Amino acid sequence: MDLRSVASGTARLIFYTLLAIVLMALDFRGRYVDQLQQLAGQLAEPLVLVIDWPFDRLQQASAFFGERTAMVERVEQLEQALLEARAGIQVVDDLAQENTRLRTLLNLREQIQAPTLVAELAAIDLDPFAHRIVVKRGQRHGVRIGMPVMDATGVVGQVEYVHMNTARVILLSDPDHALPVQVLPGGERTIAYGTGTLNQLRLNDLPMNSAVEQEQLVVTSGLGGQFPAGLVVGRVLDIERVPGQPFATASVQALSAMGRNRQVLILQQAPATPNDVDSDASTSDQDTASDEGINPRVEPRASSEQPLQQARATDADLEGAR
Amino acid sequence: MVRQGSWGLTSSLMLAYLLTLVPLPHWLDPLRPYWVALVMVYWHLEVNRLNHLGQAFVMGLILDVLTGSLLGQHALGLVIINFLVSRFRSRIRFFPAWQQAIAVGALLFNDRIVQLWIIGLLDRGWPSWSWWLPPLIGIAVWPWLFLLLDAARHRQRQLS
Repeated sequence: MDLRSVASGTARLIFYTLLAIVLMALDFRGRYVDQLQQLAGQLAEPLVLVIDWPFDRLQQASAFFGERTAMVERVEQLEQALLEARAGIQVVDDLAQENTRLRTLLNLREQIQAPTLVAELAAIDLDPFAHRIVVKRGQRHGVRIGMPVMDATGVVGQVEYVHMNTARVILLSDPDHALPVQVLPGGERTIAYGTGTLNQLRLNDLPMNSAVEQEQLVVTSGLGGQFPAGLVVGRVLDIERVPGQPFATASVQALSAMGRNRQVLILQQAPATPNDVDSDASTSDQDTASDEGINPRVEPRASSEQPLQQARATDADLEGAR
Repeated sequence: MVRQGSWGLTSSLMLAYLLTLVPLPHWLDPLRPYWVALVMVYWHLEVNRLNHLGQAFVMGLILDVLTGSLLGQHALGLVIINFLVSRFRSRIRFFPAWQQAIAVGALLFNDRIVQLWIIGLLDRGWPSWSWWLPPLIGIAVWPWLFLLLDAARHRQRQLS
């Protein structure tokens, strides 16, 4: 190998390294390559479905040839679970009606139940550090970017890219994800950030005198309009008040299985329009919002932008208000 | 040298992508070797195909899109591996099998360090010790992969 070829090889290495680094920076910070990701994901979709196909068939076959007695037992179990759930729902229905009456009495906007879509996970293994899952429902089934995804126990994440038959979901635990939440029973509002560890979230900007305690329930606050209010997110593991720091931080254990189960639920709600959120926030949430320092009128401006960046903008507003 | 048909190359690469995505039981998942890199190194070492950095870059981008990792993450890793292979190709090629496997293992370890650097910059949390297992599995898999691809290549040559 003579000197010139070595030099040109090194030059090419530097060129491609820089190209890769620029791409990573664009993808991570600015989401400038969203279009590219969308297109590439669409092209890669057939491969995902090809890999998934035999596993899908296998599962169907095993269900088909499964033992009859086991099946009957399972049906019985499910029926019992359904019965119990129904009984619970009746109580909830009653409460919901009461809630509607009270809301009309108070002249508040009625809360609309969003239709849901059950989605099966595609049987492929993604990069464990990516905090993404792929579900087998796409544009054809009415999935749109930004729709909340949950399972039976809590919020899982939201739709990031939609392709024809599949969609990619970003999990709450991704460090790039921020979710406006409320800690019950105090009702304190804050933002839950992903930590990069599955099932772990972090509340970074609680006031030092915050009433948040261990074991308290964290639910979505509905601010930002991306997620409906009141969905279960997790439980507070512990709260830390470091002297000298401006904010207290708490770690939260997410309650959902984060896509390790086979099925998730996609809430098909249209992301709220700015006016929508504004009227709701300014009427119903005024009292809590003002003493928290969140200005509800600043909030909706962000929600018309990119769904994932909206939470970040909220955070900036929140800090600005303080 | 007469170029052999790209059939073997394309199908082995496709297989590598499939093996990367195929779901494994939870405990087996951290043991998954870096299939795409192994296949690329084989074709580069033995046949001097896939020897261009641009090819490595594109293969890495495809892998990034498929696995949902940051765009450019695997591309960077594969470009560095490809560069190192072309630097040391003339030496590694004539190593005995076990030594070659260790050389490939060193490449994969180096790649792990590069990936760790990227993950560290992204603030994605420190990986557990099982992070360092895939290169070891890669060393164990390499001789068999080598024999398999060699056999497939010779068979194809006889047929054509």
